[in-house]
Amino acid sequence: AAMFTDSSAPGADVEPLWRSARSARCQARSCQTRNISTVETAAQSHTSRDASVQTEQSKDALYDFQQEVQVDYAGLLAFLQRVEDTVIKELKKNWESRAFDGFAVNWTDQNETVLCLHTLSYPAAQDQNLQVTSVSWNATGSVVACSYGRLDDGDWSTEKSYICTWNLDRRGLNPKHPDLVVDVPSSVMCLAFHPSQPSLVAGGLFSGELVVWDTSRTEDPVILRTGMTDDTHTDPVYQVNWLPDAKHRNQTRLLSASTDGKILVWREERDGRLVLAEGFALVAQQIPRSSWLKKVACGEAAVGVTSLSFSHFDPRVFMVGVEGGYSLQCCTAAVTPALHRTGSSVPLRAPAELAFSPHGGPVYSVSCSPFHRQVLGTDPGAAPRAQNLFLSCGTDGEVHLHSMLQTQPLVSLQLSKKYLFCVRWSPVRPLVFAAASGEVHLFDLARSAQKPAVSMKQAAGEHPVYCLEFNTKQTQLLAAGDATGAIKVWQLSSDFTEQRPREVTHLEQLASESMD
Amino acid sequence: GIPVRTTLDNSTTVQYAALLQQLIMKARSTVRDIDPQNDLTFLRIRSKKREIMVAPDKDYLLVVVQNPCE
Repeated sequence: AAMFTDSSAPGADVEPLWRSARSARCQARSCQTRNISTVETAAQSHTSRDASVQTEQSKDALYDFQQEVQVDYAGLLAFLQRVEDTVIKELKKNWESRAFDGFAVNWTDQNETVLCLHTLSYPAAQDQNLQVTSVSWNATGSVVACSYGRLDDGDWSTEKSYICTWNLDRRGLNPKHPDLVVDVPSSVMCLAFHPSQPSLVAGGLFSGELVVWDTSRTEDPVILRTGMTDDTHTDPVYQVNWLPDAKHRNQTRLLSASTDGKILVWREERDGRLVLAEGFALVAQQIPRSSWLKKVACGEAAVGVTSLSFSHFDPRVFMVGVEGGYSLQCCTAAVTPALHRTGSSVPLRAPAELAFSPHGGPVYSVSCSPFHRQVLGTDPGAAPRAQNLFLSCGTDGEVHLHSMLQTQPLVSLQLSKKYLFCVRWSPVRPLVFAAASGEVHLFDLARSAQKPAVSMKQAAGEHPVYCLEFNTKQTQLLAAGDATGAIKVWQLSSDFTEQRPREVTHLEQLASESMD
Repeated sequence: GIPVRTTLDNSTTVQYAALLQQLIMKARSTVRDIDPQNDLTFLRIRSKKREIMVAPDKDYLLVVVQNPCE
């Protein structure tokens, strides 16, 4: 029989693993890289040599591009013979084609009206009853500067005046608060921005001095001045221009014209002074005589210059408008010495070459056309004569369109009974010009040679507009400054900003039919 | 392209040559993209002031600038 007995089984033991596992996994180890060996050394070059490289001027620069290519003339001839017929056929078709008559494409939105974009003024100057004597756009076309002064004062004035600039492209433009105001101890009569450096502006003062300001400097904007020396003008400076310097390509010189008959060219010296480089003097005796000039005072009377304009095509030729009412064509390359009484450090020359028929009163503004007109000489061997057109206006209320080849005006327009203070050609349309009297008149010779296309009333009452400038970079803008001390920036309609297809030839036709 | 013969002044010639070379290539590839069997024979550009005509070839380009009468 099976017997149940007591027994006890030994218990089962489970070894804890975690301790041994832990101890099994932990081991202390260390390692070390081998020694990194470092060595200190120094290097220095102790000999040097100078070598320079220069390219040599190629002898015939003109024909360079033709000599580079190895032309296979036989192949070229074969090509030309192949295409000759096609090209001649196309040329003939073009000449006779009527397909594109009256076809015009609008690339930009047409703007139909002329409107006043901004009216800018400086209240402190207006409180002193100062008038805007001159406006100028800067090289980039975004800043307009104006000079305050008085144009109707006959006496010597020692009033302080201002130069104000506004940046029209800036957001938050405040028309009554100019971006920059410069105090000037005397009235500023004329202003001109530098043609390529956007912050330099030159002005001519009532005292006869010239000053150049740098509008980017905040402490003292004056960088150059002529000071009062024996060379400075003895009368107010009515026109100041920047001239490219023929010898030093990156320097420019300043030209100033004043009613004391002198036209002076200044260059800058290191200590901030402007020193006379060359000069011209207009003396009544040296004006080329014509029949109507016999009544002019003879002798060494100075001929007062009120305005000046350079020809766009020959940088030595400039037109001058004088108080006597006529315009003169002058050349900077003149050599005859002037019969000027007072001594000056640089000998003055007489520049006048041709006198044009006069207005009934002093000429206040001349402007040379930026569009070229070339008339070929009738002889086969003669060089083409470049003929420039220019406008002049004066106190008789007339605008004369002159050609530099003849003394009588081509077209003479009686604009108004009032004085005309400024006339300017449009920089984009060869047949358009603007004239300023009580209103701003825009003339389009394509539409009518007698009446203005548009007349814009600038200021209420009898306050005339004294100065006008077209903006050459943003061609739809025209700035006009008036006697109330405000500048209006007008936006012109697209009629005035886009050149028509045959405008230049129209201009030539207009000039030639008046000549014959 | 490199100008070989010209009746205009240098700077204008170089400008025309460079610009029209690129335009001819673009015009030719446009024509051939539309129809690969086709090829460019002549290019005329009419602008407000004048008309430019280009006759292309494998190695040469002939450019003629004409003032149209209106």
